[in-house]
Amino acid sequence: MLKSYLTKSKVHPAPLAVFRIIFGLLMLVALIRFWTNGWIYSLYIEPDFHFKYYGFSWVKDLGNYTYLLYSSCIIAVVGIILGYHYRLSIILFFLLITYSELIDKTTYLNHYYFTSCISFLLCFLPAAHYFSIDATQKEKSIDAIPSWMVDGIKLFLCIVYFYAGLAKINSDWLLEAQPLTLWLTSKYDIPLIGEILKYRWVHYAASWSGMLYDVFIPFFLLYPKTRSIAFVFVILFHIMTKIFFPSIGMFPYIMIFGATIFLDVQWHKNQLEFLRKFSTKFSQKFNFLKLKFTTSKANVSFKPKQYILPLFISFFIIQIFLPFRYLTYPGELFWNEEGYRFSWRVMLMEKKGYTTFKIKDSINQKTFYVDNADFLTPFQERQMSFQPDFILEYAHYLANHFEKQGHQNIQVFADSFVALNGRPSKRFIDPSTNLNQEIESFKHKKWILPLKDEIHGL
Amino acid sequence: MKKLISIKVILLSLILLNCTNDSDTNEVIEETEFNIKEQQTEFDRLSMLTFWADNIIIPSINSFYVELNSLNEYASSFTSNPNPSTLTQLRDQWLTTYRKWQHIEMFDIGVAEEIYFKNRMNIFPANVEKIENNISNLEFNLDDSVNFASQGFTALDYLLFGIAQDDDEIIAKYSDSSQNYDSYMVAITSKMIELTISVKSEWEGSYRDSFVESTENTATSSINIMLNNFVFYFEKGYRANKFGIPAGVFSGGPLPDRIEAYHGEIYSQILALEATTAIENFFNGIAYGDPNSTGLSIKNYLDFIESDVTDKLSARINNQLQTGKNKINELNTNFKNQIEENNNEMLLTYDAIQSTVILLKVDMLQKLNVSVDYADADGD
Repeated sequence: MLKSYLTKSKVHPAPLAVFRIIFGLLMLVALIRFWTNGWIYSLYIEPDFHFKYYGFSWVKDLGNYTYLLYSSCIIAVVGIILGYHYRLSIILFFLLITYSELIDKTTYLNHYYFTSCISFLLCFLPAAHYFSIDATQKEKSIDAIPSWMVDGIKLFLCIVYFYAGLAKINSDWLLEAQPLTLWLTSKYDIPLIGEILKYRWVHYAASWSGMLYDVFIPFFLLYPKTRSIAFVFVILFHIMTKIFFPSIGMFPYIMIFGATIFLDVQWHKNQLEFLRKFSTKFSQKFNFLKLKFTTSKANVSFKPKQYILPLFISFFIIQIFLPFRYLTYPGELFWNEEGYRFSWRVMLMEKKGYTTFKIKDSINQKTFYVDNADFLTPFQERQMSFQPDFILEYAHYLANHFEKQGHQNIQVFADSFVALNGRPSKRFIDPSTNLNQEIESFKHKKWILPLKDEIHGL
Repeated sequence: MKKLISIKVILLSLILLNCTNDSDTNEVIEETEFNIKEQQTEFDRLSMLTFWADNIIIPSINSFYVELNSLNEYASSFTSNPNPSTLTQLRDQWLTTYRKWQHIEMFDIGVAEEIYFKNRMNIFPANVEKIENNISNLEFNLDDSVNFASQGFTALDYLLFGIAQDDDEIIAKYSDSSQNYDSYMVAITSKMIELTISVKSEWEGSYRDSFVESTENTATSSINIMLNNFVFYFEKGYRANKFGIPAGVFSGGPLPDRIEAYHGEIYSQILALEATTAIENFFNGIAYGDPNSTGLSIKNYLDFIESDVTDKLSARINNQLQTGKNKINELNTNFKNQIEENNNEMLLTYDAIQSTVILLKVDMLQKLNVSVDYADADGD
């Protein structure tokens, strides 16, 4: 059955074309928003020092050329939307946006990672074989692609939701209603509903419904009879999250618009028909643009390249197992954050830290504390202060810096306190560990002091 | 199905519109009205801000202003008639006013922030070289940031105690008008008055009302600015400036010349204790100048958030503040002597204060979930 599904089952290419256009438009808005908020400068140019993902220290920051990188991204996105030199555009977009993410892990967001993953998948999908300038120019039209190519996107969205839901099945989230208690109580100023956000039952209701939504929405979206109502829930849920947490940025929009992939083929055809009429009118006015999208009868049949299916299967195997890599580490995941990222743990904990570094010149025995503001932006300092891999990388950077200043045999000790989900703050890093001697690796960091409180759950 | 689809289209376009419209001023006004109505049932933020403005900030600025005027008068009488008696009077008044200052340095908001009030009143160490230059050539602009460390209380500290070995010599310098010490001193006290008036008149104007009404939780609302400023003052103005830097925490060796009121020496402990009182009063909502009058405070706010918690954070903060205060009390009245003779005690005091910083910056800010005061990126 699986074999016949993978080889024989076909679907109309309209959903993929719509997804391409929607994804491109979302990215366009996201890029412009990122630029106009001044984040290209404040996140990639202003900092003297960038935190690197383990294994990616070779990624160099580009200074003012970062603007060039983002300009190229915008051009690529326009290519994606129009389906103009689509393959080149999407590959360029994937490489550039992923590169920019790799410059500094301080900016890590699940939905940036999501963006990279989706654009990776889109590199191999025939998203511009239909309703695109490419298709029009080549005068080729198709009316069927393998179902798994559209279902692959759906599967990925399902994984995101489902894993985000699984992550919420833990004692802090469900039994203490944390961190939502902390977050919602402080949203007293939201019009109309702000008033009720101080009540405990609201925190529990929000926690439980958030978990249930994430776990079950994929199934309701997949099942045709519940699809429409599920989509309404998608809209409502993500609008709520945007109201409660304005700082989650583009994430709600990406999830709402992304979920249109689950809708019926006819819906997608309707959207394209609307777009076609619009673009015809548009190109009559500005005929030099030649924005013609044909949805003419199929004249060729589409055959995917042999390597794509195995590639997708490997991608999904990784996606399914990667979030569970935390099981190979001892200690509390939320505290140690070993295996935390790239696992769809979205809005899951409230963590605040205060970490300062004591530098010891082991030759003359002099010690002094570093003012983090001398080296890090406030945003970097905040992220560094509760994430062990950041603390270690920064400790090495400091040691290097002060050795260049003429100090010898530098030892670096962290004075670090962290509070998690409303628990009282406690010491986070062993203050007697010379971090300059510790080496970053995928192994457990023994110098993280234990939380001494168990958060039960997945 | 068709109907649902059209609803979806409407919803989607609504979101798109919403997407381009992040801030909405109408909402802010509505929110404020809401908070006024709902005070009975929840924590009354308007009342807390009102208490801060009317019972702490404005009275402390007014009281400071009165003493500052006296300081100016004593400065005039001393410079016009320099003798041991007028010098003592002026020094006493300097200390009285300096102590009052400890109560308002943390309110770095509005005009005070714009004019760098705290940097111009109390940045130390004083730039002695610059002061002497200014005095000898009388060409200086106190509004220029290069002169921030050559005015205010720290400059007066130098002018009153540091310009010569003993009182007779100091008096002699002021007796000789050609040396310009007298005119520089008056220029400084006048400037302090001028700056204070601009801060004071802002609070007397419409600013007070907009301050107390800004009860929402945004990066620019009064509550958030005040909480951020309070924590920042505690960490920088109080912990680092008064203790950490002179004890050598950030430099690898003690720097006794970095204490507050270095030239007067014996006043460093008094000033530090006064600042501690100001911090405790603000945290606990004790009215300025009247310990029996209390109002809503950060402590009450924390207790409201932690209404179902037994081990209250506010109690731990108060305990730790008390621990720090006890440590300060054990120190030499002259921090310079303390650092030179037994810096370890100074470092222990610093550690006690540092523990409070963690409670404020990590635990308190997490509980209150205050929007941060700097622009940053998205989170998820």
